[in-house]
This record gives sequence, structure tokens and C-alpha cells, in this order.
Amino acid sequence: MYGKGLRQLSIATVVALAASLSLVFFYAPLDADQGFIQKIFYLHVPLAITALVGFVVGGVFAILHLRSGDRRWDAWSYVSIHMSVIFGVAVLVTGSIWAKASWGHWWVWDEPTLVSFLIVFLMYATYYPFRYAIEDPERQGRYASVFAITAGAFVPLNFIAVRMAQSLVHPRVFATANGGLPGSMMFTFLACLAATGLLWITLVKLELTAKSASGQLKRLRRALDAPTPGGGSRIAPEVS
Amino acid sequence: MVALLAGAPALPLDEAGKYVAGAYVVFLVLLVVYVAIMAAKLQRMERDLRDLAGFAENRANGETAAPGRGSEGQSISVSSGPSESRGGGR
Repeated sequence: MYGKGLRQLSIATVVALAASLSLVFFYAPLDADQGFIQKIFYLHVPLAITALVGFVVGGVFAILHLRSGDRRWDAWSYVSIHMSVIFGVAVLVTGSIWAKASWGHWWVWDEPTLVSFLIVFLMYATYYPFRYAIEDPERQGRYASVFAITAGAFVPLNFIAVRMAQSLVHPRVFATANGGLPGSMMFTFLACLAATGLLWITLVKLELTAKSASGQLKRLRRALDAPTPGGGSRIAPEVS
Repeated sequence: MVALLAGAPALPLDEAGKYVAGAYVVFLVLLVVYVAIMAAKLQRMERDLRDLAGFAENRANGETAAPGRGSEGQSISVSSGPSESRGGGR
């Protein structure tokens, strides 16, 4: 069910990633200020945007779960957050590499953009122990959805707060006044953003497909393992 | 694409080059590790499915230890990874 169209999506993602990388290294001009190091932004910023949007999407799926009680929405919410946390790791690492090259430090604690993203990332890192501390699946899904909604609402608020902060060092990709990205850079950036978004969607679908197959395998096992008339023994113990 | 490549600026692989390469390699490594984990999960599921199919065939052929009972000797070990036991919504 989840795997429908996954092959086409995977091909589209590979093509989009290859095209966007070609644009980054062969089409986009060098930044006058930062030079070659600015190429990291075509990876770092789309990853950050996708991760943050993914967290919010996880919250939206959680709302659908709480409204409908359909546990498939909980699965979507869980996988969205899971994938965004992985993307978040990539954001932190690529950002640190850029910071080292540009600022001479791997991390700067008085920079709101960095610290706020770290806070969001750590907040979602607590999602796993929070979720798995609850054994009852129904309660687990419900509580996890409440967490996902609350944290998902925090993400845009956090983003707005950072934009309002008077940061002196972290560059702004989309300037609100003069000096935004020139056309070729913006085109490349949008291509990278589209490719990264496609990658996120593909990986979410892949993870959901794997989880669905695993769940169906367990159901099959239970069906085969069911006590037959005249006998009630299990053929194998449940593996937890 | 050819025109794009013809007009492309030369890559100045100076000091910045190693940082840019590092960032893209980190991304690639993360992606490869994730795909490898998914491949391992898929292999495990395939193995479990094969075991289940074998057991179902045996049962259909009446090769179970006793009628109406599961065979004590036959054990299906459907391994469930941490993600499954943790739920994930199903």
C-alpha cells in the first residue's frame, strides 16, 4: 500500500539530486563574498528547510491521528519526525563544517540560528524515549501525537523568533531587503530544495513500506501461529 | 546541459575545497548508511518470510508433528527489530 509509486519516486529523486548537484558545481556562479565555500549552502539550507517542514508535517499527521483515531496517521507522523531527525543530523554536521571554514569555529554558542536549531533537534531527539517509555500502543500513539503537535507548533514560532533576532554573523539566504540571491543562484537553490524535498518524501515512503511489510509479516506469523482446533500450543514464542 | 557546462566557472579547489567535499561526503555517507540499514531490514524480512512460507507448506502437506497441534520442533523465528517492537504506529 505504502510502496505504490515508490520506484518512480526513487528514480525521480536520483535524477533530481544528480541535476541539482550538476547545477551547484557547474552552473551556479561563485559567491563574491564567500567563494567556493558557499556551495555548502546548496546542501545545508535545503536540508534544514526540509527537516523543519518535516517536523511540522509530522505535527499535521498527528492532528489527523488524534481526530480520526486511525493509527496509520500515527505511523506517518512517526516516520516524518524520524526522517527529519536524520536530516537534522546532516544539517548540524554540514553547518558545523561551513562554520569551521568560514568562521574558524565548529560551533558558535551566541548565534541564535545555530542554537535554536540545536534546541529543536534535541527536543525531537526526546521524542523516541518519550514514545517508547509507554508500552500500551494506543496510549503510545496518542501521547506521541500530542508531543508531535506541540513540538510542531514550536518550530515555526522558533523560526520567527530567530528571524526577528538581530544576528550579526549567520547569513540570510532569503534577504528581506536588498541583496537577495541572484537569479542563477536562486534557481540552483530551488532545484536543490526540490531535490531534497523529493528525497525526504522517498525515504519516508520507503520507511513506511518497510514498516508496513514488517507489520504484515507479524500478522502472517500470528495467523499461522494461531491455535488450531484440538490443540492450543504456539509454534514459537513471541519475539519481543 | 552542454551549454551550461561550457559556461560553468572553473572549480577553484583551494583550501575551501576540502570543506565543501567534506560536507557533501557526510551527506552521502548518511544516505548510504540509511540505505544499508534498510537493506539489512529487508534481508531479515525476506528470511522470515521464507521461514513462514516453508512452515505453511509443511503444514499444508500434513507434515506437522501432530494433527491439530503445532510442531514443537518447528520454530519460526520471526525476528522483530527494535523499530517494530517499538511500534511506529502499527
